[in-house]
Amino acid sequence: MSSIEADILRDTPDATVPKRGRVRPAQLVLWALVLALCVVPFLLVVVISFGEKVEGAAWVFGFTGENYLRFFVGASWPETSTTLYLNRLYYSVYYAVIASLVAVLTAFPFTYFMTRMSRAAQSRWLVFLLATLSLSEVFIVMGWDILLSNRSGLPMVLREIGVTDWLKGNGGFDLLREWGMANPRDIKFKTSEFATVLTMSYLVWPYAVILLYPALSRLDQSTVEAARTMGAGPWRVVQTVVLPTVRLPLIGTLFLLFVFLLGTYVSVTVFAEPAKQTLAISVYESVRGSTLNAPFGAAQSVILLVTGGLCLWLGQVLVNKQEARA
Amino acid sequence: MKHLVTLFMGLAAFVIVLPILVVCASALNGGRSMLFPPQDPTLGRFAEFFISEPVWRDAMLNSVIIAFGSATLAVAVAWPMAYGVWKSGSAASKVLAGLGAMPFALPPIVFGVGLGFLWGFAGGLGDIWAGIVSHAVLFLALPVVTISIGLQSIDRAHLDAAATMGATERVILRTIIAPQMVPYTLSGFFFALVLSFNEFIVMFFVSASGYATVTLQIFNSLRNGFTPTMAVAAITFIVVSVVVFSLVARFGDLPRLMGADQSKT
Repeated sequence: MSSIEADILRDTPDATVPKRGRVRPAQLVLWALVLALCVVPFLLVVVISFGEKVEGAAWVFGFTGENYLRFFVGASWPETSTTLYLNRLYYSVYYAVIASLVAVLTAFPFTYFMTRMSRAAQSRWLVFLLATLSLSEVFIVMGWDILLSNRSGLPMVLREIGVTDWLKGNGGFDLLREWGMANPRDIKFKTSEFATVLTMSYLVWPYAVILLYPALSRLDQSTVEAARTMGAGPWRVVQTVVLPTVRLPLIGTLFLLFVFLLGTYVSVTVFAEPAKQTLAISVYESVRGSTLNAPFGAAQSVILLVTGGLCLWLGQVLVNKQEARA
Repeated sequence: MKHLVTLFMGLAAFVIVLPILVVCASALNGGRSMLFPPQDPTLGRFAEFFISEPVWRDAMLNSVIIAFGSATLAVAVAWPMAYGVWKSGSAASKVLAGLGAMPFALPPIVFGVGLGFLWGFAGGLGDIWAGIVSHAVLFLALPVVTISIGLQSIDRAHLDAAATMGATERVILRTIIAPQMVPYTLSGFFFALVLSFNEFIVMFFVSASGYATVTLQIFNSLRNGFTPTMAVAAITFIVVSVVVFSLVARFGDLPRLMGADQSKT
């Protein structure tokens, strides 16, 4: 049908008037729903972060910067100052950066090979990945908790097959102790940064594959073959043909996973030592847990959001710069 | 090279399966503690989980109610949103869809805190219906995406043909669009269902200890250490996920839903 005919049809009064009348209220309801349920919760967090705590567990609306001041320099500033919460923010970012990097770097070759398989094989892999992706964090933590536990997990396996003794002999054990991954007698993974990052990257690994999958599966195989026939080695093909075409989705995936991991809760409570816990933990403590200071919890959430937003923005700037250069 | 690839894929699969396998095996433990390999294997834990222990039975029921309720609600809201974007393509409809996807894209703990405040004011904190609405909002993005993907695959020539033959928008929607959209709608529904089933942190904030889902119950028992009964819950959830996604793969085009290239079959 030509566009003129379409216009005529659209302008026919009896076809359009009742339709528009019908669509509008529904559209309004939809907007109201989305605003009330998707936007208002975030606005509430921002508004309440300026509120004040009152005696007991209650709080009132207000307009004070005290919660933010407390975050950056501590409640009793200027007499004393503390970097406790900045330290927590540092660990939030630190774990999230390393875990998302590990996930993307290992998921990339995996996804590449997967997209070279037959459609049926891809389907089977996707079912498998989606099943693990949807698996709750509590179950994943449970699994790694058993695997890394001192009694019946990897430390036991390493001891039984003699790796622990071997490491003690060549000095590797002292290195592990320095990294906080061994007690005087045994290798231990709980609690350690290693276990935290491992679980977190496991958590998002299937997401990384799913996010990289569209780009890699649309990669034109003929350009790869052309490069091969012209004598480029596999590594060179990846470097000069594959990577440049998927650079954007690669960076995009990295940032999405990073923002997602900023709020990880269960893995950190179980695997990170108390001194190295993250902002997500203290948000919980303030809102629901022991300290009960909702405005301060809200302020910490806002800082978490802003950190995520800043990182996304920085990533965008980085990408744009690279694009401009290319 | 070929062998290296196989080795790498195998290793990846092994690492993914390892913790799941360990959890599953632990469910067979006869005693109260989680040991691997299991000691004194028994299937008694399954009976405990599904039948004899009310804590777990209730938690399972809550999980099922919330998952089905929120997935249904999410699909019901996602349909007009995706349809609006596809039909009009207007900036307003795109903004609406973008706002709807926001809770899914941002750290869930922040959304959980916000919803906790919202239900505190609206009076739903600790009620199951608020939990259902919360999950529907959180996972709204999934059916929106699958339905949008489906709508894009509809041949516009068919719509034009129907319109020239005098079909109204409503008739076109019922006779041409709806039948083709069934697999995509169901896929969106199941994605939301499975993720709701497994979600933890948002439910943690909105339930306010008023009720417990299975994931909440497991986290609550975490301080006392893991028990084999909890592993039964894990097995149940894994089986549900695998079955659901296999169905999606069987009746829908999973690679396409995940954004694969269409020209290759």
